[in-house]
Amino acid sequence: MNLHDPFTLALIALVGLSLMGLPIGLTMIMASIIYLGLSGQDMSIAAEQLLNGLNGSYVLLAVPLFIFSAGLMNAGSLTDRLLRFCNLLVGRFRGGLGHVNVVQSVIFAGMSGSAIADAAGSGKVQIDMMTKGGAYPASYAAALTAVTAVIGPIIPPSIPMVLYALVADASIGFLFLGGVIPGVLMAIAQMGINSWMAHRHDFPISERVPLREFPRLTLEAFPALLMPVILLGGIYGGVMTPTEAAAVAAAYAWLIAALFYRSLTLRQTWAAVVESARSTAAIGMLIAGALAFNYVITSENVPNTVRGILAGWEMSPSEFLLVVNLILLVLGCLLEGSTILLIVVPVLVPTAQALGIDMVHFGVVVVVNIMIGLITPPYGLLLFIVAKLSGTSLSAVVRDTVPFIVAMVAALMLIRNMFPVAATIAMWNSTSGSTTPRGSGCAEARRANAALIAA
Amino acid sequence: MDTARRLLDWGRRRAEDVLSVLLVAMFIAFMLQIVTRYVMNAPLSWTAELSTITWVWGILWGAGLVLRDEEEIRFDILYGNMPARARRVCDAITGTAVVVVFTWSLPAMVDYVTFMKVERSAYLGIRFDLLYSVYLIFAVAMIVRHAVIAWRAATGRGIGRGAA
Repeated sequence: MNLHDPFTLALIALVGLSLMGLPIGLTMIMASIIYLGLSGQDMSIAAEQLLNGLNGSYVLLAVPLFIFSAGLMNAGSLTDRLLRFCNLLVGRFRGGLGHVNVVQSVIFAGMSGSAIADAAGSGKVQIDMMTKGGAYPASYAAALTAVTAVIGPIIPPSIPMVLYALVADASIGFLFLGGVIPGVLMAIAQMGINSWMAHRHDFPISERVPLREFPRLTLEAFPALLMPVILLGGIYGGVMTPTEAAAVAAAYAWLIAALFYRSLTLRQTWAAVVESARSTAAIGMLIAGALAFNYVITSENVPNTVRGILAGWEMSPSEFLLVVNLILLVLGCLLEGSTILLIVVPVLVPTAQALGIDMVHFGVVVVVNIMIGLITPPYGLLLFIVAKLSGTSLSAVVRDTVPFIVAMVAALMLIRNMFPVAATIAMWNSTSGSTTPRGSGCAEARRANAALIAA
Repeated sequence: MDTARRLLDWGRRRAEDVLSVLLVAMFIAFMLQIVTRYVMNAPLSWTAELSTITWVWGILWGAGLVLRDEEEIRFDILYGNMPARARRVCDAITGTAVVVVFTWSLPAMVDYVTFMKVERSAYLGIRFDLLYSVYLIFAVAMIVRHAVIAWRAATGRGIGRGAA
């Protein structure tokens, strides 16, 4: 290690300052400035990369809009109504409320693109529902809520997939599509574990919802249930781009919450706006930092160096994917998901490309992988959230999460071996002929925007 | 001291209002874009530009003036578990580092932003130095905020966490 090398010093600053608790986005900007300054380059390149990057990445606008729509759905009690509907469907089985938790997350996943939004928004209701009357231990309810929230960004829409599309230049439309089967697979795995736990610990069967309630509850949930249909139908029917779909989701959520359910006042709407704007700034800062630091990574030729090293190992594509899985699982225990996506994944992409791995498949595997990282201790953002919501200790939640993590990793291995994604895409190609999701390519949006700026 | 704190709180709330308005503007621009393109078949051209501008401003404005320390995404396995004294040492070091690095680079950044006056945005015709000036707001906010954090950590007192 050469301590006079600007890149080494920048890396030391990056690691050192973030370990000392400085926000990661800010640390990345500083590391870029340090690198530029010490290597005698113009320090303003950091600001230029950051500003032009943000200004030129139109697809990223899906991020704030999806955050906003999730905020509106939670504030407008759409999630509560969904929960009641799911109770109607699967509440009657042993471990029923656990299944309700899973199914609700699957449906919510079809509307929201963020695991954090799922856990933070409907998590409280899900945990309360399960622990009422001492039916389930609070730690189990919390663990299940964290685990099911992971499905959110795997089933489309998905904020992490938008970020991946940016760094890998892959089609968001195909990425979204590729997430459907893996997401359902993970839900099935979770329901399996939940059944097993319910039998083992003799969790109670909840009261059956009387059949005459069926039409009312279904009708009540219907507008909310339509949301995934509108979103995905809109994207794949070629009516709107994924970014526009995010705006439509927010508009639709507001319309049904405020006008149909009448559960959202103007004041609550404004509170959701403020909350979403703050979250947007926090996650946007991370993106801004990554845009600046990616210049350093690129100008030091890191991705190619990594490719060279990995090429020396002479791995097959599936061996490479296994290595990627392991690296990301370990990093997922330590780092926040978007950081991994924006900093580590770009370094791995060229190798994956060189090995002929499909970028969509790689993206789905990577996103699933990183989402599992959200529930692995010691740094699992979802675990922190549910522990706080349920008022249980982190260690108790972690203990109850373990069987689920094992199941999810098993599901990841299955997904890695091509089957589900390949099947989805093949299905897509055979049914839709030549139509592709409209304007879904990141490159397309970037070109359009370049033209916009240049014009 | 109380007046200073009240003034800071007031400033912060107004900064938060600006941030929220930016998000609403982005949303409205998007809706206009969708409606004019797909419903009226007469797409507006400036809406895309407005939404990216609100995105850039929202992030840097929000991160500089609105976000509280606990809202920012950080790696806190180590930091979160430190005793208060060690945490103060870290705050002093990181705070000083932010002040030094951002002050060191500020002249270059000012140069860059003012140089951008030669370009205008395609549809709204806004000068790029104005658009990009939000970076300077952010940089100065970072310098002030972290100077306060470092000062507080070093002396154990101050005018409250984060100055807007």
